[in-house]
Amino acid sequence: MGDLMDEKVKDKKVIGNLGDPGLPYDYSNRPYGTEPLDSKRAPFQWVSEVAYKNRYRIVTRGYDTTELMEQGYGLTDVLFINFQSRIPSIEENQMLNYVMILALEDGLSMPAMLSRIVASSKTFLTQACGTSILAFGHAYGAYSAFGNRQLEALEKAEADGQSLQEAAEALVAAKLDDEALGVSSLMLKDPAAKRMFARAEKLGVAGKHIAFTQAIVKAAQAASDTPVDVDMLGATGATMMDLGFTPEAIWSVIAVTRSYGAGAHFIEEVEREGYSRTGQHLTPESLYDGPAERPVPSLKDRDKLAKPAKITSPDEWKVAMEARKKLYGSGYSIVEEIHDPSKKTGTHSHGKKL
Amino acid sequence: MSREPFFERKTSIAFKTEEKTVLRGYNLSDLAEEGYSFCDAIFVLFQGRIPAEAEEQMLSYEMGSFLEHSMSPSAGSAIAVTAGRPNLPTAVAAGVMTFGGVHGPGAAHGYMMNKYIGRAQREGKSLDEMAKILVDDYMDAEMPVMGMGQPQHRDGDPRAEPIHLKQEELETHGVYHEFQRAVEKHFHARRKREGKAYVGVNVVGAGNAALSDLGFAPNAAWCVGSVSRGYSCAVHAIFAMKKGRAWAASSAEPMVQMLDLSMIKYIGPEDRKVPSQEERAEYAAAQKESGDYKKWVI
Repeated sequence: MGDLMDEKVKDKKVIGNLGDPGLPYDYSNRPYGTEPLDSKRAPFQWVSEVAYKNRYRIVTRGYDTTELMEQGYGLTDVLFINFQSRIPSIEENQMLNYVMILALEDGLSMPAMLSRIVASSKTFLTQACGTSILAFGHAYGAYSAFGNRQLEALEKAEADGQSLQEAAEALVAAKLDDEALGVSSLMLKDPAAKRMFARAEKLGVAGKHIAFTQAIVKAAQAASDTPVDVDMLGATGATMMDLGFTPEAIWSVIAVTRSYGAGAHFIEEVEREGYSRTGQHLTPESLYDGPAERPVPSLKDRDKLAKPAKITSPDEWKVAMEARKKLYGSGYSIVEEIHDPSKKTGTHSHGKKL
Repeated sequence: MSREPFFERKTSIAFKTEEKTVLRGYNLSDLAEEGYSFCDAIFVLFQGRIPAEAEEQMLSYEMGSFLEHSMSPSAGSAIAVTAGRPNLPTAVAAGVMTFGGVHGPGAAHGYMMNKYIGRAQREGKSLDEMAKILVDDYMDAEMPVMGMGQPQHRDGDPRAEPIHLKQEELETHGVYHEFQRAVEKHFHARRKREGKAYVGVNVVGAGNAALSDLGFAPNAAWCVGSVSRGYSCAVHAIFAMKKGRAWAASSAEPMVQMLDLSMIKYIGPEDRKVPSQEERAEYAAAQKESGDYKKWVI
């Protein structure tokens, strides 16, 4: 890679701040070149407990996928194998099919809209399908938050000797209006969520998560001033947890399932609406409520007009924080709870508005 | 809370009211209650129809076959994305978005078949004759014949021929199956004549022929295939997220990690001194003048 060190030694001139004694090491004498291969440790390999393949086989959790298909198993069976490493019962498989049908399509909701917007810029279908998955955040598709919260509440109830109803009441007291509760006003007239629970009971696959969600519904109905009932998040989340899926698995299975629907929306958008060009779409002034139009100051007046953001005391900081909240789009009105996301995702709320 | 759509579109796919969600005229909840499968619903979504039982079985076979493929570009992407620990859907989306021109090129293969079957119809040629024309067109132009070859399964994709056979067993094989089989026949014959090694049909060639015979348009077929892979991308991502190290570079791991510094092999320009701002004008002019930089431009 060339050896600049000799040249550097001759050229004692320090670049910028790179001679500062506070730096962790001597920047003038840093080595060039890449790190040597590490022969002391095992070489890198793709480590997986999910699947492997060779020239002749593709194997997931120990089962050859072609043999699975030839034995009459199908897509939804493979989901159980892939995520849970087990062959499901016929009833569990029927229930998963039921849940996935209801997750397939939701009209012109966020995943479909995102897919259509991406479609309009003339992309591959797969880009639009992938984008639709990104719609599943902690409000629209709060399956991870819903499920992890249930697991934590049930664990705590067991440790504290609480009944299911007491645990539900404690959860409702803390999270009644939370988007991940699984209980809301969204399904008061649509029976689909309640029918899902009834089907799970009929198939004999309903378990503690459906029971707990029903207890949450009861507690929420008692605590709420307005009518509420189980919604699709609660019905889907609880049913899939009773089928043995983890909160993260549910989150991804539902998001991917909706992505087929988003693919149909991609196709229809292209077929019926065509493409959008750079600069094509206007934003009417009537939608704008930012600062009034103002002349751009000349560069020579810049120092007179510019107000640096630097703050030197906590009191100044407090004043500045409040002032900055007034400008939408600056980000100061959003506070996110900080947590270590390395093992779980979605157990805390994100983007909470003050 | 507002329940208005984000923006208005005329759509023939679905509508949703406070009372129900309706897909192509069918109440989704009623469809599930009646005992239809998820694969049945995929037919309703893309084709607006309830499929025959054998068609549903074929689709389930196809989607189940395609769902998991261990270490492929899509799973690799999903795993790599988890290294930064974003929200899980980001990794899953990346996996699905990996499907481009050479990874499961379902739509392109479908359009290719439609183009040549259309030519056969217009020119009064048999499917077999047109398949030979297709193979010669592509191979004369030194272009890969879509649907043939897989870099990891060099002796033939283990999913491909069984998909052909299942189509025949379930009697869902139609014009696309016949055409794809003919393409394979002429492809193998020409490679043999030219003394080239055997290259088998891949899962796109077999699977896409099956999906086309089931009535899926090229993009719908691509969606069915690539989105199905999204499920296994999610499993790989969750595994990496729950049981792997963030950043994938820790020197404390017993195995060298994916992003360990020693994995870098640099083949770019040699190390060089950063010019000062005083030197800049002369330096930049000389560099541009020499043109050496052009071999590095990408």
